[in-house]
Amino acid sequence: MSGGGPSNKDTLFAAQGLGKRYHGVDAVADVGFEIERGSIVALIGPNGSGKSTTVDCLTGFQRADAGRWWLGGRELTGLSASRHARAGLTRTFQNVRAFDEMSLLENLCLGAQQRDAGSWWQAFTGGPAERRAQAKMEARALELLEMVGLDHYAEAPAEILSYGQRKLVAIAASIMARPDLIMLDEPVAGVNPTMINRIEAMIRALNADGVTLLIVEHNMEFIMRIADRVLVLASGRLIADGTPDEVRRNPEVLDAYLGRSRAPHAV
Amino acid sequence: MRRAPALATLALAIAAALPFLIGDAYIYTLGLTICVFAVLASGLNLVYGFAGLLSLAQVAFFGIGGYGTAILVVDHGWSMGPAVLVAGVLATVAGLVVAYASLRLSRHAFAIVSLVFSLLCVIVARDWVSLTRGPMGMPGLPSPTIALPGLPPWQLSGPRDFYILLLVYAVAVLLLLYRVMRCRIGRTLLAIRQNEPLAQSMGQNPLAYRLFSIGLSAWVTGMAGGIFVFHLTIVDPSIFDFYYLETMLIMVVVGGPGSFWGVLGAAVFFSAIPDLLRFSADLRLVLYGLVLIAAVLAMPGGVAGLLRRRRLRRWREARR
Repeated sequence: MSGGGPSNKDTLFAAQGLGKRYHGVDAVADVGFEIERGSIVALIGPNGSGKSTTVDCLTGFQRADAGRWWLGGRELTGLSASRHARAGLTRTFQNVRAFDEMSLLENLCLGAQQRDAGSWWQAFTGGPAERRAQAKMEARALELLEMVGLDHYAEAPAEILSYGQRKLVAIAASIMARPDLIMLDEPVAGVNPTMINRIEAMIRALNADGVTLLIVEHNMEFIMRIADRVLVLASGRLIADGTPDEVRRNPEVLDAYLGRSRAPHAV
Repeated sequence: MRRAPALATLALAIAAALPFLIGDAYIYTLGLTICVFAVLASGLNLVYGFAGLLSLAQVAFFGIGGYGTAILVVDHGWSMGPAVLVAGVLATVAGLVVAYASLRLSRHAFAIVSLVFSLLCVIVARDWVSLTRGPMGMPGLPSPTIALPGLPPWQLSGPRDFYILLLVYAVAVLLLLYRVMRCRIGRTLLAIRQNEPLAQSMGQNPLAYRLFSIGLSAWVTGMAGGIFVFHLTIVDPSIFDFYYLETMLIMVVVGGPGSFWGVLGAAVFFSAIPDLLRFSADLRLVLYGLVLIAAVLAMPGGVAGLLRRRRLRRWREARR
């Protein structure tokens, strides 16, 4: 790695000087941060602060105008979305997404395919290696479906699920390939409290299993409970980086969310 | 659809037994039309139903296969087998160029570019006289001889022989496409069609899968064109007629994009219909149009979509 990158060996992901402009306006400007291996980092900020743009750029879904980023020491700058995923960085989407016409099992297996399945020729011939890979993917998919309590719907098409259940499936699919880092875009937005608890339990279980997560979220209560560290964006710039308590007390953050001279404990 | 493989085996057994039972040329002409359209519609199904690309270039691939074969055979003295294979490859190359150039923009760009490409092929066939002999076409394709090792040479003459050849070709292509659609490659294509960004976030490369589907589809469609012109004994610009494209589209839309059996069933049905409607040849396209509109209104997703919705309803009821 040359000219930057992670500052120490515990750092899994590092971004430097990220910038994205839309029609001359900075959506994201000079954003840089690091994520430690095994941590849960939250990325928060008011509407339009550039959170989703940041995630889109760092996962290859949008082309960044400036900046570089690395995962596990490997530079991913400029790679396509699919190559980000193959490098070990997966994501979920703000508007929940699933392959609606496919079964939950198929949805999840597609997540593992790039890592566990063989060549196209192997897929076409369907020999023993392909069957073994398929069985392995299905076993892991069932394990994850069991973990989120949806194993009895394994064969059902994803479109019959509720909004919250689909969010669970999306998270489960994103970890099928055993990525090093997952970026979750608003995992609990629009989800009822019971389901929030289930999603929270799932995230904690994954993290205990060694998965590192970056979570973009509006639900402050949820973030303050679950995150080890919080990054705050406002108008496309990173204005705070600290523990949930530090961020909660940060006057700049309060200002960004509520405007100057408002209640100090309201975040 | 669960009984479809058994039904197909039965239909295939009857189709294979026909040459031993019937001497009627009309039946064979109808049979070979069904075989050609089964290939054309299934090829479009791979591209449209699986990869989600509205390819209006299928008729161009068919025509390129036909013209390519005719030029190689008539002008260069090639024999049927290599000429058909190479013409198929030519159609594949054309498909890949059209797809690669336009898919970098969007799926809609692909639909438009593929349509323009088909129109361009008509102009080339009509106006590049030194290559294609213009509007009069290239007559005089010889009746081909197929020499397989260990078997006496087989000279194809008449609808019965072409029916047998096209039946063998259609079965081989359908087996190939069935395997592709049912294996991991087909599932990934369906996933990309349903939600491209999600598939990308799982490490799939949509462009590679789409190029594969276009390439394979163009190859089998082009070779079908190549074989078909031997039956016609002439190739002229009417091989690019949009009648072929409309018919393929109707078969896929009514059968259900993404459903192998649905599209195959529709291909058989709509290949036979024009002959059943011989009393109203002028009304044929009007009737086709009406069927298409009725199908889109009454069963978006085609016959297969109807069955899928029934399955979905059962899951929803079970969930309550």
